[in-house]
Amino acid sequence: MSTADPQVPAPGDPLAEHPILEGRHSDRAYSESLLAFVHRPAGRTWWVMLGFGLAGTALLTVAICVTLFVGVGTWGNNIPVAWAFGITNFVWWIGIGHAGTLISAILLLFQEKWRGSINRFAEAMTLFAVTCAGLFPLLHLGRPWKFYWLVPYPSSLRAWPQFRSPLTWDIAAVGTYLTVSLLFWFVGLIPDLATARDTAKTPRARFWYGVASLGWRGSARHWRQWRTGYLLLAGLATPLVVSVHTIVSFDFAVAQLPGWHTTIFPPYFVAGAVFSGFALVLTLLIPARKALGIEHVVTPLHLDNMAKVLLATGWMVTYGYVQEHFFAWFSANPFEMHATQAEFFGPYAPLFWMQIFCNVGVPQLFWFSRLRTNVAVLWVAALLINVGMWTERFLIVVASLSMDFLPSSWAAYRPTWVDWSLLGGTVAFFGTAFLLFLKYVPAVSVSEMKELQREVDASLQFRREQGTRPGGAP
Amino acid sequence: MSRHWVLGEFASSDALVAALKALRERGFEQLDAHTPFPVEETFEALGLKRSRLPLLALGAGLGGAVFAYVTQWFTNAVDYPLDVGGRPLHSVPTNLPITFELAVLSAALMVFGALMVLFGFPHVTHPVFDVESFRSASVDGFWASVAVDGDDAPRVEAALRELGARQVSVVAEGAR
Repeated sequence: MSTADPQVPAPGDPLAEHPILEGRHSDRAYSESLLAFVHRPAGRTWWVMLGFGLAGTALLTVAICVTLFVGVGTWGNNIPVAWAFGITNFVWWIGIGHAGTLISAILLLFQEKWRGSINRFAEAMTLFAVTCAGLFPLLHLGRPWKFYWLVPYPSSLRAWPQFRSPLTWDIAAVGTYLTVSLLFWFVGLIPDLATARDTAKTPRARFWYGVASLGWRGSARHWRQWRTGYLLLAGLATPLVVSVHTIVSFDFAVAQLPGWHTTIFPPYFVAGAVFSGFALVLTLLIPARKALGIEHVVTPLHLDNMAKVLLATGWMVTYGYVQEHFFAWFSANPFEMHATQAEFFGPYAPLFWMQIFCNVGVPQLFWFSRLRTNVAVLWVAALLINVGMWTERFLIVVASLSMDFLPSSWAAYRPTWVDWSLLGGTVAFFGTAFLLFLKYVPAVSVSEMKELQREVDASLQFRREQGTRPGGAP
Repeated sequence: MSRHWVLGEFASSDALVAALKALRERGFEQLDAHTPFPVEETFEALGLKRSRLPLLALGAGLGGAVFAYVTQWFTNAVDYPLDVGGRPLHSVPTNLPITFELAVLSAALMVFGALMVLFGFPHVTHPVFDVESFRSASVDGFWASVAVDGDDAPRVEAALRELGARQVSVVAEGAR
C-alpha cells in the first residue's frame, strides 16, 4: 500500500485523517499565497466592513464620553445591582482572549502541529479582546483618570493601595496579560514582517515593513535565540491563561454573596474562557479563511480539532453548572438555595435556559464528525456559544446581585442605551482592529508553515521508505 | 582594510548545511547562515552554543516576585497598616496573585529585552541588505555568509562557488 498518497484522505471515510496542509507548496508559494491579501489593494467588501466597524467605534466613543462627562449614573446599574454590564462584558471579553494564548502557547508547548495555521489569528484576537476587556473595569471605576491609585507609587496622599482587594489583583493580571500577549505576538511576527518587507510591491510598504521587522535578516544566530525566546514566552503565557481568569473569578468568589461564593469558580471560569474563546476563533476563522484564500493551510483538520475542543470544554462548563447548583443544594444554606431556585424559575429563567441550550446543548452536535467539518453548522454553533457564554457571565453578575440576602433590598436591572452602546461599540472596535490586522499583518505564520511543510515532507519520505500506511499499520 | 561579507545562496537547506560544514573544515571563521525559517542543522553546523535566555528569564522572574511580595508586605503591613475587619495585616494568600503576575511580567520583559540586545535591534540597516537578491533570504533562499577582512574575499568567493552556490555576492561595510 505504498502507491496511494497518504496526504489525500479517501472520500467519505470517517476514519481517514484530514491533512494538516492541503497539497504540496514550495517556500515561495507559501510566501506569496499567505501574503497575497496583505500586498493586494483592499477590496470593496473590506472597505464596507471597515466602514461599519468605524461607525460602531464612533458609537463606542460617544458612550465613553457620556460615561466620562455625565457619570456612571447613565448606566443601568443600581443598588443592589452595582455591577452589571460593565463587569459582564469585562469577563466575557477577557475569556475570549484566552483561546489565543491557549492555542499559541499551550499547543506550542505540547508540540501540536496544527496550531501553526491559526495561532497568529488567535493571538491577534487575544490582544484586541483584552484591550476591550480592560476598558470596562476602567470605566466602571467612575473616575477612570484616577486609575493609577491602584498602583503603589509614593503619592502625596501618603496612602497605599489595598492589596487584599481583588481590584488591585485585576490591574496586575490584566496589565500583565496584555503586555505578555503583545510581546509574544510581536516576537513571533518579526520574521514574517521581514518576509513582508522582502516581498513588498511598493517602496512605501517596503519601508514600513522594514521598520516594523527591526532589521531581521534570518541569521542562524538570531533564529536560535528567537526560538528559545519564543518558547520561553509561550511557557510564561501558559500559566497566565489559568491565573488571569482565576483572578477574574476571585472578584466574585471572595465575596460572600449567594451565587458568587463558590470554590468551583476558578476552574469553571477558565474552562468557560477557553470555550468562548475557541468559539470566537471559529466565528472569525471560517469567513476569514475564505476571504484570504488560505484554505490550504487552514484545513478541515483545524476546524475538526477546534470543534473537538469546543465539545470537551463544553462538558467542563457543564460540570461547572452541575457543581455550582449541587453545592448550593448540598450546603443547605437557604440563601444559596434561593439563588439557585431564582435562576431556574425566577425572572431571569428564560436567560438561564437559553444559556443551558447554547452552552450545554449546542456543543453536543460535535459528536458527529460530519458536523464538525460542516462550516455552516460550525459557524452558527460557534455564534450561539458566544451568546451563551455572554449570558452566563450576565447571569452570574446580575442575577446574583439583584436578589441578595434581604428581600427589601431586591431590585431588577435594566440596561440603558449607554450599556448597549458600550457592548456593541466594543464589538465594532474589535472588528475594526481585526480587519486592520488582516490587511496589514501576515495572518498566518509564514515561516512556521514552511517549517511545517518541511516536517510533513520528511515524515512522508520516512513513511515511504518504511512502506507503512498513514495509520501506522504496516 | 574594511570588513566584507561574502554571501552565497544555496537551493536547499541541505545544500546550505553541507556548505557550512565544508567552509568550517577549510578553516573559515565568522560564518553565518540566513534562512527563511529556523533550520536546526545550521545551528549544529555553525557550532552555536545553547542560549542563556532561560537563566536570564529565571533571574528576572524571581526578582519580580520578590519585589512584588516585599512591596505588598511593606505597604499594607508596615508603612501604612491597613486593618480591614481585624484581618491579619500580613496574609500570604492575598499577596500571591500579584506576586505571581509580576514574576511573569518581569520574566517576559527580560526575554524581550534580552532578545533585542542580542540581535542588536532595532537596527533596520545592514550592509547585506544592499544585495537585492538577498531579499530571498526571508522567502525561499538559503544563504551562507562569511565575514572577512578585505583581501580574503576572492578566496571565499571561489570556495562558495565551488561548494555549489547559485550566486555569490560581496558587500563591504560602509560602501554607501
